[in-house]
Amino acid sequence: MSRIPLTSAEQQSDEIRQFMARRGELNVFRLLANAPAVFVGWTQMVDEILESPTYTTRMRELITLRVAHLLGSTYELAQHSDLARAAGLTQRQIDAVLDAGDLNAADFSPTERTVLDLITELCSTRRLRDDSFAAAHAELGDEALTELLMIISCYYGLALVLNAVDLDIDTTARLRP
Amino acid sequence: MTRIAYRRPEEMTVRARELTLERGNLNVYRALANAEKVFTGWMLAGRAALTSSVLPLRLRELVILRIAFLMDCPYELGQHRDVARAAGVTEDEIHAVTSGTHWHATGYFTATEQLVLQLTSELLTTQRLGAPLFNQVHEALGSEATIEMLMVVNRWSGLALMLNALDVDLDETARLVMPPAEGGGT
Repeated sequence: MSRIPLTSAEQQSDEIRQFMARRGELNVFRLLANAPAVFVGWTQMVDEILESPTYTTRMRELITLRVAHLLGSTYELAQHSDLARAAGLTQRQIDAVLDAGDLNAADFSPTERTVLDLITELCSTRRLRDDSFAAAHAELGDEALTELLMIISCYYGLALVLNAVDLDIDTTARLRP
Repeated sequence: MTRIAYRRPEEMTVRARELTLERGNLNVYRALANAEKVFTGWMLAGRAALTSSVLPLRLRELVILRIAFLMDCPYELGQHRDVARAAGVTEDEIHAVTSGTHWHATGYFTATEQLVLQLTSELLTTQRLGAPLFNQVHEALGSEATIEMLMVVNRWSGLALMLNALDVDLDETARLVMPPAEGGGT
């Protein structure tokens, strides 16, 4: 049960209503809209992340799901498991990302494995060893590596907010990426 | 030693450059600008966080210092010690909030500050939060400021991960410049 009341979309400014019309009227947005002075800027960041062509939707959902799992965010997992499936991840791959299956036996590409390993190390230890960084940097290059960190950062921080508030999972509303 | 090449402001889009220069052309921005397709949005989110007047500046900076300490992020500590000083946080208070467990016994902080720092510590350490502590903070701050405070945790914990991953060098002298509350916004 959410520990803070959710706002209703109708009470919001045009900018916020347009964002919810575009991305979905999700509990997370109705929650964060309690703080309109910072919410609008945050939605601009989210829009850019979701619209960037640097990664495929499949890769972005893979990243999100792994972060959500490592942070224990049931809300992010609920929203993004469906999206991950829709983006082409198999049930076996999703299970592996959730540590309910073997990452080595889930047919991830070498790049996907590099990304998953980086996320695991960074979210667990809050840093990266030199060789881990070098492997990811060689695989992804400056821009994609930095953008990967931006996506991790976005969902890591958000998971803490969602866990703190114990936000209810949406009954039917789903994010439109 | 920073693990990635810095972008120079003249290589950025006009909007990204404006936002970077406005805040002091720091190493953190020049490193993250490598993610050019998402950097502007991230800067706009930060601008909103830094210019909002909902949270007292002092409280925001105490939370950021606590996050920087718990995330073991020397860059954030280096930049925000100075911001905190400017916001009226004393050297002893900075020391208390960026050290282990004795901060709450020092008597430096108000009851609300203590609750918020306790929440920050519990959330970053365990990734979740007991209901009683959350409810006490909610009662003290109200819904809007509680969400803003959580969004501070959101942003600066995520930023700490990026800074640590890229091992960004603390700027020798450049320090964060607070953007003006009006103008240059969205």
